[in-house]
Amino acid sequence: MDLAIRAVRALSLLGGFCAAALIAASVGVVCQMVVVRYVLGQTTIWQTDFVTFALVAATFLGGPYVLMTRGHVNVDVLPLHVGPAARFRLALAASALSLLFALVLSWLAIAFWHEAFDNNWRSESMWRARLWIPYLAMPVGLVVLSLQMLADLAELLSGRQHPFGIAPGTSVAEAIAVRETGT
Amino acid sequence: MSPATQGLVVIVATLAVFVTGTPIAFALGAVAVIFLVLFQGLDSLGIAAETLYSGLHDFTLVSIPMFIMMGAAIGSSPAGRDLYLALDRWLYRVPGGLVVSNLGACALFAALTGSSPATCAAIGKMGIPEMRKRGYPDEIATGSICAGGTLGILIPPSITFILYGIATETSIGRLFLAGIVPGLLLTALFMAWTIYKIGRSGFRAYPSEFRYSWREKLEVLPKVLPFLFIVAAVMYVLYGGVATPSEAAGVGAALCVLLAVLLYRMWDPRAWWEILRATTRESVMIMTIIAASVLFGYMLTSLYLTQTLAQAIADANLNRWVLMGLINLFLLVCGCFIPPAGIILMTAPILLPIVTAAGFDPVWFGVIVTINMEIGLITPPVGLNLFVVNSIAPDVPTRTVLAGSVPYVMCMVLAIAILCAFPEIATWLPDQMMGPGRK
Repeated sequence: MDLAIRAVRALSLLGGFCAAALIAASVGVVCQMVVVRYVLGQTTIWQTDFVTFALVAATFLGGPYVLMTRGHVNVDVLPLHVGPAARFRLALAASALSLLFALVLSWLAIAFWHEAFDNNWRSESMWRARLWIPYLAMPVGLVVLSLQMLADLAELLSGRQHPFGIAPGTSVAEAIAVRETGT
Repeated sequence: MSPATQGLVVIVATLAVFVTGTPIAFALGAVAVIFLVLFQGLDSLGIAAETLYSGLHDFTLVSIPMFIMMGAAIGSSPAGRDLYLALDRWLYRVPGGLVVSNLGACALFAALTGSSPATCAAIGKMGIPEMRKRGYPDEIATGSICAGGTLGILIPPSITFILYGIATETSIGRLFLAGIVPGLLLTALFMAWTIYKIGRSGFRAYPSEFRYSWREKLEVLPKVLPFLFIVAAVMYVLYGGVATPSEAAGVGAALCVLLAVLLYRMWDPRAWWEILRATTRESVMIMTIIAASVLFGYMLTSLYLTQTLAQAIADANLNRWVLMGLINLFLLVCGCFIPPAGIILMTAPILLPIVTAAGFDPVWFGVIVTINMEIGLITPPVGLNLFVVNSIAPDVPTRTVLAGSVPYVMCMVLAIAILCAFPEIATWLPDQMMGPGRK
């Protein structure tokens, strides 16, 4: 069990690194594109496509990492102000709903990716990129997201993680500070 | 079930799911999936994955992580401190000078980042302890920073404007320009209130013979001006029609990171990773909400809920100002509970047709929405800036922070009223620089 949870966390962290790398690369490519287009006066072919695909991929691949570090914002009025027992039940409901979304979309995304792969879809731009490559980030990201949600749920049920990361006795301000920095 | 009843069920269910504390992105996605299946059967999910992907596949969205990185680079460097020092040295003679320079620093910092909590934290970390040390009342020291921080999303560049622009297909360049004059108006209102309040109490922070030398005044400038220059250049590039917002933001981000590294000698790669990590976390969070809100919007339109609501409001034949008042009230209530990104992405596509049908300008409405979101940032129960200030000055009771913020909330309400009376305050600058907009 411990091993499985550690493995999932490692996957999420890896996804986070990939997302960060894609964002950094996008900044570089945008700068290169600006130079090519406005300084050298040439047309650009692959840059717009690359940057757009990279940032979609970063969103899906980085999702599990942001979940793990509690970076996805929520409406936390009720969780912050109720007692520990009610907070636990709210956390269960929140996990169940999130998991429902992630599992359904994982399944749909796999089917969607498969279609793109089988039919060899290409992007409509001059680059004619094979779409199954960028599309792959969606099923991969959503499956890891589902796994991370399951890992969080397992830790919540076994009492190793506090509901919403709020330890009993934490003040509202402390809880928010944790959420803002993710540490 | 009629569309109206369906609509009511969807609204109640969405709010119920939010209240459990489910992350906004997953909540929107889950509600969309559940209602599509419930009302239209399993087949309706056929293009859900494609909808989710295509919601993000848009070059305009590239500007979001770029502007976030620009803010993260400046936020992680001591630029906030230097900006603060510079303004204090230049404005210390004004009554309530320190508070006024804090507000000015907030406005300038807002022009460097698109985020309110970041503005609040960067200026507050220096400003609040300094104001308290010099004897300013806690109420003013904390309240002014809470309020000044909210300027982050009104003065361009602003993530809130980008989201509104994407959700309503309004020009982001136009929105940025429209935020400038109202942002300055709001800053002036905040300052006026502070000067009045401090002046009336006869409080002076410095002995009246105290002077900063010109040397002291000038030596703080070299560290502050380059950042302001980059932001001005980004704005120029945007409006000169030279480049798109995404391109301008990308180059701006690269320059800001470079400048932060060079000016403050941030050679440690861990500092770079911190900038990248903060950028990734916030960008991924916002982009996930965008993707989910597109799926949510798809559910609303395929069930004809958006159209039904717009029709119902058109049929009600309300006076346009009564309508605008109700929309403001609705946004204020939402702002008290839901983060700005969630509110704008969810409600703007629904509200915009109603608002434009009533003859309001979409760009002007973007400014109104943003000021409403600013109010939500400093009102309980989830006013983010209140908590940022609380973490800077934990010994000031929340009640005092709130009492200090209330007059500034009134300033914002006043600003909304002024903007309603004189919409040109928002629309004049974009019309001048980019030609008349669509009405």
